[in-house]
Amino acid sequence: MNDEGSGGEPQPYESTASLRLARGPLVAPVLCRVVSMVLARANCPMDRLDDALLICDALSAHTPDHVRDGSLAFALSARERCFELRVSELPHTAAAQLVRDSVVPGVGNVLERMADELRIEPAGDGKHEELVLELRF
Amino acid sequence: MTPDMQLALPARAENIAIVRHALGALGETYALDTQTLSDIRLAVTEACTNVVVHAYPDGGEGPMEVLATLLGDELTVVVRDEGRGVGPRPDSPGLGLGLPLIASLAESLQLGRDAEDRTEVRMTFSLSDGHTDPKLGLDGEEAAYAELSDPPLPL
Repeated sequence: MNDEGSGGEPQPYESTASLRLARGPLVAPVLCRVVSMVLARANCPMDRLDDALLICDALSAHTPDHVRDGSLAFALSARERCFELRVSELPHTAAAQLVRDSVVPGVGNVLERMADELRIEPAGDGKHEELVLELRF
Repeated sequence: MTPDMQLALPARAENIAIVRHALGALGETYALDTQTLSDIRLAVTEACTNVVVHAYPDGGEGPMEVLATLLGDELTVVVRDEGRGVGPRPDSPGLGLGLPLIASLAESLQLGRDAEDRTEVRMTFSLSDGHTDPKLGLDGEEAAYAELSDPPLPL
């Protein structure tokens, strides 16, 4: 909870952002910074922030291999004790492949290990799918 | 042209910090010098503040979008909103210094509306030799932003 409500009444925290980045060197640094800020404002503990950044690194490394139009689309949402990161506009079957690509030798699958929930959803346009990762803290 | 970075957030004061951090990451990636990055962040902060304060009156909330495109040695940053647009505002809570400040920091500044009738502040920054002569390019009748009670300063 934060204390920004009127009359001193705490309001539930909720923050959203959408981010589109051209495939290239901006992806990892910008995604990590934006995710860090959103999580910091949601009072995310440091260990889960680290986990989120590992997820961002894995996504930054592998998502560019699976997009067609040269840009990567992310949607971020932080609520009370929960953070959701969506990798949007992925071609069909790319989300599952992206998860499979995120295996680090000796560590395992970074996305599956760090996220509390991982699912693949069809996008509203019927042409794409989204990889949805949830972290709870 | 597809932007290198496009960040969309609710137009709230606390989200300006997220924009500043994103620009910091962009500046580090493109190895911008400290002064140039500082100028860019200050100008974009002013533009975003205008959106937060003026675009959605009566406590309403709407989107604030920041797009950055690097082309050659120029970085163009567009701050966009879906608010009431540019116009005089006698009851403005600001000092009316935001746009002149942006104009002094940027190589060029354009105000107007895009094809979807969204309000745009378009800033171009030269990355080659820091500041050159700043120009204030205004786009038609809509050129005075809500907070700007006086005409832009001749620069």
